[in-house]
Amino acid sequence: MAAIITMDNLGYNFGDGWVLHDLTLSIEEGDFVAVIGANGAGKSTLLRLLAHILRPTIGYITLYGKPLNEFKEWGKVGYVPQNPGRQQRSFPISVREVVALGRLDGRSIFQRYSEEDEAAVDDILRRFTLTELERRKIGDLSGGQQQRVFLARAMVNNPEVLLLDEPATGVDPDAKIELYKMLGDLNTNEGKTIVMVSHDLELASQYARNALCLDHGVCFWGDVKAALTHRHKHGYFYR
Amino acid sequence: MEWEMFTMEFMQRAWLAGLVVAVICPLIGSFLVVRHQSMIGDGLGHIAFAGVAGGALMGVQPVLAAAVVTVLGAAVIEKVRTRMRDYADMILAIFFYSGMGLAVVLTGLNHTGSFNLSSFLFGSLMTVSSEDLLIVAILGLFACLFVVLMYRPLQYLAYDEVSAKVAGLPTDTLNLLLSVMAALTVALSMRIVGILLVSAMMVIPVACALQTAKSFAGTIMGGIAYGLISVVAGLIISYYANLAPGGTIVLVGTACFILNLAVKLRTPKHPNPEELSPKACHICAEYRELEKEHQACEKCQHADCAIGAKTFTGSEVSAKEHQSK
Repeated sequence: MAAIITMDNLGYNFGDGWVLHDLTLSIEEGDFVAVIGANGAGKSTLLRLLAHILRPTIGYITLYGKPLNEFKEWGKVGYVPQNPGRQQRSFPISVREVVALGRLDGRSIFQRYSEEDEAAVDDILRRFTLTELERRKIGDLSGGQQQRVFLARAMVNNPEVLLLDEPATGVDPDAKIELYKMLGDLNTNEGKTIVMVSHDLELASQYARNALCLDHGVCFWGDVKAALTHRHKHGYFYR
Repeated sequence: MEWEMFTMEFMQRAWLAGLVVAVICPLIGSFLVVRHQSMIGDGLGHIAFAGVAGGALMGVQPVLAAAVVTVLGAAVIEKVRTRMRDYADMILAIFFYSGMGLAVVLTGLNHTGSFNLSSFLFGSLMTVSSEDLLIVAILGLFACLFVVLMYRPLQYLAYDEVSAKVAGLPTDTLNLLLSVMAALTVALSMRIVGILLVSAMMVIPVACALQTAKSFAGTIMGGIAYGLISVVAGLIISYYANLAPGGTIVLVGTACFILNLAVKLRTPKHPNPEELSPKACHICAEYRELEKEHQACEKCQHADCAIGAKTFTGSEVSAKEHQSK
């Protein structure tokens, strides 16, 4: 399988020290990577670097063979930030409007929704069981429902790559299992490449193929089952 | 007698100018209020005041001078805001107070006596000239086109700037354009309602709409509606009660906000899902202690009960089936 994402000597420094350093690895097409680590280990920073929200201090990242600053096809990438609902709980926006935002991309600042866009939104709302909630204000939904909305927004363009920062935040245990199962199905049946920050290695290991354990640098990179063994043998974040 | 306010030429201009401002200010203000930038209009007004004072001193048309200075100020503020996010409010305050300080100094240097400060501070709706009306009408058209053509990207920017950036939208450009539009709205509307009150027209109607709106489009339309109500009622009241029209308009808007808030506080609110017991149905207005968690109550055994009846992946489960699990 071809490498979709490559990182070469990647490092990021906020100004107060290195949050990430010496990351060199490739993520292949169709891979499902669980990114694990303690709080502050650099997991969200890594995802923000991959989403081109942050610029690397050293090293580089390529996406589909292109450096990130030259990559234009962001419609191929779906991104769900960490706990997005909490940031703008009072914002007056409906579920349908949030999901429809996912159809916008960088082609123009004069974009309008076409019939195709509306149909894609209808379809994804049905798929995520959000049709009955589409007129509701997103701040009125529970945390789990909001996570579903943001996942729907990330998926509405049928992206090939999903970058998910703790998508199970605020989701009850049953719904969390269903979420992981759905992501596993997206990976297995639709070939989506998924990079997901997770605090639940046991659950992630049932669906992910590889695990990347971070402690500012790489503690472990490889098969997710081996990551479990590594953790049991050496402690959680032992290098 | 009551038709005089519509037949006199100066009143016709006042009505037209007021109605245009009633549309423009909440239209642009919607994007500022939801981004917690409600005070930007007030601050830009201080900068506009410096422009007016400087223009009067140099013999340049004050409104034009205010527009240039305010647009430049807004562009610089936007640059600073993005680079110093942690201290953004402090930097903005410095700009705003410096603008006011500069305005006071420039006004003091103007000894010609031809500069009518109060008309810019408080507005002069009853003395709106045909030229003022034309300027504000062009602004209105431009503002409407701006929002209509760029509505979706602006909405994305206002709601989730980070994700908008990931999607490839030129967020820096959009932020700058929004700041420039806000600056033009302040600078060109201040002749109508005054520097001190133009910000109020950008904020208060939107605040009214936010009490009930469930969508962003609803907020904008509601804000415009409340803006129109404020202007119409304000002008009528000020005409008969012989009150300052600008101030009356703003006070009517405030009264609408208080009324809306009072109604909202008295209305049973939709349950906050985070505060509910998992054994309560999250959809219906009455709460019932159910035997099992995440269950639909008997009253709510229909497709709308999204939590009780459906699993994450969308398979429908009847409430009775769910009860048996």
